[in-house]
Amino acid sequence: MTSIGTGYDLANSIFSPDGRNFQVEYAVKAVENGGTSIGIRCKDGVVLAVEKLVTSKLLKPHANKRIATVDRHLGVVYSGMIPDGRHFVERARDEARAWRDTFKTPISTADLASRMGGYMQAYTLYQSVRPFGITAIVGGFDSTRELPVDGEVGSGPACGAGGKVPGKSHGGPALYMIEPSGLYWGYYGAATGKGRQAAKAELEKLDLGGPGGPALSLEEAVKEAARIIYVAHDDDKEFELEMTWISDVDGPTKGLHQEVPKALREEAKRLAKKAQEEKMEE
Amino acid sequence: MDHRPQAWGRPRDDIYGAYDGSYLQNSGPKTATQSPVVTGTSVIAIKFKDGVVMAADNLASYGSLARFTDVKRLRPFLDTSIVGFGGDVSDMQFLDRHLNELAIDESYEHESTSAAAASPEGQGEQGAATSAPAGKLNAANLHKYLSKLMYRRRNDFDPLWNQILVAGFDGQTKPFLASVDLRGTTFSSPSLATGFGAMLAQPIMRKYAATEEDAARLTRDEAVNVVKECMKVLFYRDARSLDRYSIAVVTKDGVELSENEQLEKQSWAFAERIRGYGTQTV
Amino acid sequence: MFRNNYDNDSVTFSPQGRIFQVEYAAEAVKQGSVVVGIASKTHVVLVAIKRNAEELSSYQKKLFPIDEHVGIAIAGLTSDARVLSNFMKQQCLGHRLTYGRNMPVRTLVDMIGSKAQINTQHYGKRPYGVGLLVAGVDSAGPHLFEFQPSGMTEEMIAFAIGARSQMARTYLERNIDKFADCDREGLIRHGLRALKESLVQDRELTVDNTSVGVTGIVKAEDGSFKVEPFQVYDQQDVMAWIESVGDDKEGGAGDAGEGEGEGEGEDMEVDS
Repeated sequence: MTSIGTGYDLANSIFSPDGRNFQVEYAVKAVENGGTSIGIRCKDGVVLAVEKLVTSKLLKPHANKRIATVDRHLGVVYSGMIPDGRHFVERARDEARAWRDTFKTPISTADLASRMGGYMQAYTLYQSVRPFGITAIVGGFDSTRELPVDGEVGSGPACGAGGKVPGKSHGGPALYMIEPSGLYWGYYGAATGKGRQAAKAELEKLDLGGPGGPALSLEEAVKEAARIIYVAHDDDKEFELEMTWISDVDGPTKGLHQEVPKALREEAKRLAKKAQEEKMEE
Repeated sequence: MDHRPQAWGRPRDDIYGAYDGSYLQNSGPKTATQSPVVTGTSVIAIKFKDGVVMAADNLASYGSLARFTDVKRLRPFLDTSIVGFGGDVSDMQFLDRHLNELAIDESYEHESTSAAAASPEGQGEQGAATSAPAGKLNAANLHKYLSKLMYRRRNDFDPLWNQILVAGFDGQTKPFLASVDLRGTTFSSPSLATGFGAMLAQPIMRKYAATEEDAARLTRDEAVNVVKECMKVLFYRDARSLDRYSIAVVTKDGVELSENEQLEKQSWAFAERIRGYGTQTV
Repeated sequence: MFRNNYDNDSVTFSPQGRIFQVEYAAEAVKQGSVVVGIASKTHVVLVAIKRNAEELSSYQKKLFPIDEHVGIAIAGLTSDARVLSNFMKQQCLGHRLTYGRNMPVRTLVDMIGSKAQINTQHYGKRPYGVGLLVAGVDSAGPHLFEFQPSGMTEEMIAFAIGARSQMARTYLERNIDKFADCDREGLIRHGLRALKESLVQDRELTVDNTSVGVTGIVKAEDGSFKVEPFQVYDQQDVMAWIESVGDDKEGGAGDAGEGEGEGEGEDMEVDS
């Protein structure tokens, strides 16, 4: 940060002589202070999880959700400035809706990530706005089946909607992470927020990117996600674990983005705590 | 010959006569939809003790042509309500997509799947307010919304050419049934029917449920049988109807929709006795 | 050179990733007199200390009804609160007109959250200088939300904002397990006790400076559940409640000032 104080960091969209946009870098700092968020793309779905720091004993437990549904099959979790995250989610919902209006079909995860990447990037271009103080993880399951067109009343053509290559698989789980700069990549496992380093180290140990695709099943991924949030958590503070998942239409969520059922979540938490204790003993 | 640029490429007046531009003049007011194009006929519904039964055939007519025979005119909403459409099929598709968006909006407030099903009667203070799942739109809300939408469109002189029945439950968890038409007129009754059904089916249904009290005594099977009987009468006498139909039963447990029913035990013997038209001579 | 360069507008991040203008707006909330909110399984109450600018002036209103089922308590710039209050009223009415039902409270709170967030991301705008406690009931029961100038909105069991509100929060934290099963009257008394914790020495609750707002779910005779419309109580209507927490020490930290006559006519500048 050699150029701090030289005036190049006082307004958004200004390049410093060495080609940096400091305001974007500072926005990343806001993300790095936020509770850890992770996403795991596994064999048959996507899991999103977040460490919700309990800032006050007066907060209503489990009432303030941090993982948002964007369309039936799409979820978003974010770290950083929470009101910015809510803005991001609202825009994502508008994009998903506009896509349906135009194409009469759900937006794919990749297309949503692209639209939202563009949106975030636009907030780095002008002095009249500031970049988003969040990094968002977008998870979705694009149906592998032939979907009816929105508003379709009959059975449609017997050959399906077309545009699909025979013998090739279409759709599947998808995971993207979008940074304040607007940069986004697809991920096998993504982590952001305060505990991202530890979380990334744990994600890298999982079998997510093998040549035959990820080996991890959805249920295992839920348990891993819980464990990773516990590992990445800074011990002395209280937190809540929030998790959602998305499977294909024949999976446990029937293609919908939903909260992980309480029983499974509690089981995952129990295993996470157990793993934590075992590690302590070593 | 006329060499002015505005005459280039035009038929010569001296040979073809003056250009008749009258078709370009739109005399009279601007018009939107003046009549429906592809239409569905009657929708009928009747309340019973624990809910509502609704039915409509699977035909979409293009004038007197039976154009589409696999059209689903009963649309479930959020698995709590059912919407039946008579009238223009493309307007129905528009509304269906619109209701789909509305349903997606509702899914944003994702509750955990376990918490969603709270008993309506509630257990003392705990269940005090869980008469309906948090924030979910019930059939009464949906009908109010549709009536505002239809009325607004008619005031824009661009009506959605439909007659709609909405069935489900109201805020007090009582069975709900109401209609709205292309003029925004709303109506509620223990039994309702649109189109030909209003003339042919309604008197039959009223024999079984003239009042709310009567309807509250009907069993599910009785209600289903009345509706099936009415569908048969409609098929006998309505020339724009079909013997393939959809039937839906809404109860507190959700919507049961069957979209490929066949009218059974038809008897056309009565047709023999009809006199006064056709090829008969006496 | 020592001046903070990063605090001039709400579109500049500091090197630590903070937005000072938003933090300063949060300070404005602390300038307002204290308000407390508590929710139980059936009711949600708001209680507030009102200030008057001078002896002969009226007291500044702190509680505002929004719709039949929602009310707010404010701390900070009253004029900013009025903007938000009008907006909320319009949204509730619009929702009632189109859907024929009470607007779900979280939906309403999210709307003002988004509205406030925009003001923190665009040059030429400033964050709202007001914090709110939003109390309401919907089909999921009673709710209490806190709204901050940053656009942050969180559902709370109980909360207090405004001058010296930390003491009230301490009281609430200490008694948090009692609230869920409290009846209407008990909840109001807890609110008033929390409020008393935040008073400066020698000040006390009077019928002039205390407001109480309540909404909730009540069981009707036919067994159905009805909304008790949000209502604000002032003056004589709060007398009995004030007296009922007159000199009890339950849950309180220490001496709730001995009442010497009415607090009337006193300077009500509770915070410095």
